[in-house]
Amino acid sequence: MTRVRVTAPRSAALPASQSREAAQDSEVGQVFVRSLIRSQLRLALVVASGFLLILGAFPLLLAAVPGLSETRIAGIPFDWILLGAGSYPVIGLSAWLYVRTAARNEARYRDLAGEPVSAQLLSRNR
Amino acid sequence: MNAGVAVAALAVVSVATAVIGFYGLRISRTTGDFYVASRTVRPWWNASAIGGEYLSAASFLGVAGLILLSGTDALWFPVGYTAGYLMLLLFVAAPLRRSGAYTIPDFTEARLDSRAVRKVTSLVVVLVGWLYIVPQLHGAALTIRITTGLPSWVGSVAVVIVVCLTVVAGGMRSITFVQAFQYWLKLTALAVPILFIVFMLAGNGTPALSAPAVNPTGLAPAGAYQKVSLLVALLFGTLGLPHVLVRFYTNPDGQSARRTTLIVLGLLSVFYLFPTAYGLVARVFAPGLARANQADAMVLLLPGELVGGAAGDFLSALVVAGAFAAFLSTTSGLVVSLAGVISQDVLGGEVGGFRLAAVISAVVPLGFAFMTDSLALAGSVGLVFAFTASTVCPVLLLGIWWRGLTDAGAIAGMVTGGILCGGAMIAGALVGASNLAPWLAQPAAWTVPAAFAVMVAVSRATARRVPQTMARVMTRLHTPERPLATER
Repeated sequence: MTRVRVTAPRSAALPASQSREAAQDSEVGQVFVRSLIRSQLRLALVVASGFLLILGAFPLLLAAVPGLSETRIAGIPFDWILLGAGSYPVIGLSAWLYVRTAARNEARYRDLAGEPVSAQLLSRNR
Repeated sequence: MNAGVAVAALAVVSVATAVIGFYGLRISRTTGDFYVASRTVRPWWNASAIGGEYLSAASFLGVAGLILLSGTDALWFPVGYTAGYLMLLLFVAAPLRRSGAYTIPDFTEARLDSRAVRKVTSLVVVLVGWLYIVPQLHGAALTIRITTGLPSWVGSVAVVIVVCLTVVAGGMRSITFVQAFQYWLKLTALAVPILFIVFMLAGNGTPALSAPAVNPTGLAPAGAYQKVSLLVALLFGTLGLPHVLVRFYTNPDGQSARRTTLIVLGLLSVFYLFPTAYGLVARVFAPGLARANQADAMVLLLPGELVGGAAGDFLSALVVAGAFAAFLSTTSGLVVSLAGVISQDVLGGEVGGFRLAAVISAVVPLGFAFMTDSLALAGSVGLVFAFTASTVCPVLLLGIWWRGLTDAGAIAGMVTGGILCGGAMIAGALVGASNLAPWLAQPAAWTVPAAFAVMVAVSRATARRVPQTMARVMTRLHTPERPLATER
């Protein structure tokens, strides 16, 4: 891949290639865009609430099962393991699921909107 | 601790930072280079750099100190710091990259087509940045005082000087290398000593963690309100941190912005295991380190306390080096992003202005740091997150996901959030942390919803002001880029 120097002033930040915008400015194009945005937002909200529910369940679990927080695994109290180490796999898993599904949503948008898809992209996504 | 060893460690980190910074000077020459490293940084480099920048004094010293003081209650800090990145990935990463803007004010101006919004956003971003630099300088002052016995101000001034030199010399590209280097330095500096200590304790046959992890301070446990409010601040505050956001512009496209964030989450998860381990080990084996106002120094003192001798000196030097890397990397990241904002909005946007702006961005918080006392580092950084969550976060989230946002709504929401949260912080500083009502000590749970509510309500009332360009900008934010090769 070649390196591209971006030396433009900030006002050049927004305009994309002309043909891409023309295709998306049509009524039909906007319908596809709206549906893409909705599906990405729904996905983000679902993953976020799932994650928060699991995180919220941790203290409830410790409170609900008496003696659980005093249980020791390799000498370390269980509440420390659950909160101090157990949260991270949940975060990682949520993130991984999101990245995969978000990319799939975008691939579906590309198909629908009929954007020319280069061979390079095909090999990457399929 | 042996002061000579500590001074040597500081010197090595500072020189290494400066050298990598100057190396970057040779390859960064254009305006684009200075601001966003020409968007050619690879995901692994970029992720390490984001990790290096994000892991501040609060993460390196503050989290472990707070865990020592308040036990499992404080575990929500590292979890929240990491989960904030998850929220950033879900709601902000790819659209923000696709906006193509260099800074948050660029983004809000482009989205809302309004110079006034840009001005307010710039003001908020500069405030956030300055507020966030102050705890870094406090951390540096504390480290110098504890480890070398020199006066506190030496630490803050040293950080400001090294940061100014690197930023002025190389801008963002050299900063990317410096930050990536510093993530790995910080990880090593925390991991090696604590692993050594754990193996030593296990090998000595010390009754491993047989004593219950008691609370060495007798602090009352935090209530449910405070935990929730803290989580709100950390989850939504990360979205709006200027130095974190600017990093996303260095990804080539939206998809790689997501991949980078995924790697960052992995790096942060690994990192935060170690402050947690320090906290737990210190609670059991060195509860004496939980002295008033010094808990933040626990990470620095623990190796000397538990290991001692030449090995203890070496491990202490390593930790001191890592701590300084934390102050330097976060401060320089903040200075770069603040300088980007100040130079574009005040000084005209050229490289010379960027350098002057960098010096301004670093020296003003130095003044703040001299005037204020160090609170618990993790706590004061938590307040900055609350402020960001009440100001920058609503405008970003609504700007990216809601078509109805208007310039008037954005300004009203940011001002409301800023005044409420800033007011709570000032009230907290005046009253003193010890006898502060929970709703003032952790304001995020009500200031964030208030800012969102005002932003939505005012936007609804001024719906005629939705900019003409809205549909085009929303399309740009959310549709995937074509492959780079065809976009030119």
